[in-house]
Amino acid sequence: MNLFSQILYLLHKEITLEWRQRYAISGILLYVLSTVFIVYISFQNIGPQVWNVLFWIIMLFASVNAVMKSFVQESGYRQLYYFQLLHPIAIILSKMIYNALLLLVLGVLTFTSLAFIAGNPVQHAAEFALVLFLGSTGFSITFTFVSAIAAKADNSSTLMAVLSFPVVIPVLLLLVNLSAHSIGLLGGTEMGDKIMLLAAVDMILVALGLVLFPFLWRD
Amino acid sequence: MKNYWWKFLGVLLLIYTFVFGLLTPLKTGITAASPYSLQAGQTQVVTVQGYNSFFTKEKEKLRAWLKTGSEFALAASQIEAVDDRTVKLTFHVPAHLPTDSKVKDFTLLIDSPADGASILPGGLSIKQDSVNEAAGKALWTASPISQLHEKEAITFPFRNILGETIRNTYYHVPMWMAMFIILIGAVVFSIKYLINPDADYDRKAMALTNVGLLLGILGLITGAIWAKNTWGKYWSWDVKQNMTAIALLIYSAYFVLRASFEDPEKKARISAVFNIFAFASIVPLIYIIPKLTDSLHPGAGGNIAFGSQDLDNTMRMIFYPAIIGWALLGLWIGEVILRTARIRERILDA
Repeated sequence: MNLFSQILYLLHKEITLEWRQRYAISGILLYVLSTVFIVYISFQNIGPQVWNVLFWIIMLFASVNAVMKSFVQESGYRQLYYFQLLHPIAIILSKMIYNALLLLVLGVLTFTSLAFIAGNPVQHAAEFALVLFLGSTGFSITFTFVSAIAAKADNSSTLMAVLSFPVVIPVLLLLVNLSAHSIGLLGGTEMGDKIMLLAAVDMILVALGLVLFPFLWRD
Repeated sequence: MKNYWWKFLGVLLLIYTFVFGLLTPLKTGITAASPYSLQAGQTQVVTVQGYNSFFTKEKEKLRAWLKTGSEFALAASQIEAVDDRTVKLTFHVPAHLPTDSKVKDFTLLIDSPADGASILPGGLSIKQDSVNEAAGKALWTASPISQLHEKEAITFPFRNILGETIRNTYYHVPMWMAMFIILIGAVVFSIKYLINPDADYDRKAMALTNVGLLLGILGLITGAIWAKNTWGKYWSWDVKQNMTAIALLIYSAYFVLRASFEDPEKKARISAVFNIFAFASIVPLIYIIPKLTDSLHPGAGGNIAFGSQDLDNTMRMIFYPAIIGWALLGLWIGEVILRTARIRERILDA
């Protein structure tokens, strides 16, 4: 099997697995809904500025929870099995793509529920969608890689937060900034540059992940 | 002795920067002028406060101007040096200014043979009732600035607000650069470890990261002290300060990660991977994000970087040795950490 079909195969496996044991994904979706509701109860009146920040904070925590299981849940025996069969790059790439899709679904759900409860302040829908896409990709890349590191240690859930939050802050700041623009809070014309920058940061993180994962992998 | 020369060099360079960086006086400057605002067409007396100035020395040769741009200037008609730090200037301000607006800011320039020329940029504003630009231009070219003196002694430049804190250029900035040099070294050893898993490479990467973190904390503290004196607060939630704090968090996470593995081989490999990943994510943190937002820090948000204007040749003579000195001192500390790590391992093995 070449790399591409390996990735497709693994993606298919991830999605089937997720669909068979729906409790994981429904748990995450419920997590988002209850967080949005708690936020609504605590704030009651949510202005556009607060909306923007809350959206990304809910996304951040939901993403960490969603992605954390991607390496932690796989047992040692299954890892050994993969190790004999597949290329490490296929494994990390398929996980990153799968998590990006998952986070995109999560983002859309967060957006709909927040918009349903607190109103929809987004003015440039296409721009917001692009930012959401880049954001879920960036989160997925960072968190997938960090969860691969954290899965190697015993106290993986603490390590996951400690390692990933500082690393994801540049991406998060760019995202908050960009989505503030799509909400109409920020003027400014250099948004194209920032989107390019966000895409560039995503690319660098992917490249690093692909280069470094084979070293993490072999035990 | 042959192997220790760089330690001596580092210490000598640091002693040199401490002695000359702290003892060399600042150039003469002007800290304040009152009244701040003048009226066109009147004769007014302005009291000027100098810094490191010797107005009474050769006081008959003192000269002063109000100027705007490079061509329009007005000389003071009478100058009275009260003491070394205070001088009273009398200006016959003409009825018209060389501008088409009602109010204009002027730069105050005082020249003396003892102190050289010193300026207060935009220090005085003049109001005029009737605008006549052509007449103003004619009036303001009557007394051009000529033959300014240079101060003879070796001094550092004087900048308003910065004042003596300009010396922080020899501590904060070099520490920061030394930190980068040392962290790059740590990343190089991490890469070497991944290519060739030798436990010593990992120890070197760990020792250098330790020193890098130490220099980073020192850089943050010296920066905060400087910020207290110039921005008014230790922590202004400035983007540079926040990003730096996050960068330090990332490197602290490196040590948390190391502590959570028992197996030395696994610890070395995984922390090497994280070290490379962390370094790559710090570059946008410190170099790209602060450029996107407003910052109070020199070199960002429209503020002038020290390098472009303020770092003159006397400062360069201390600034560059300071970078090398701090980097060498950091390497020395790193070497001590490395040797203790080696010895600890040997004791545990025995």
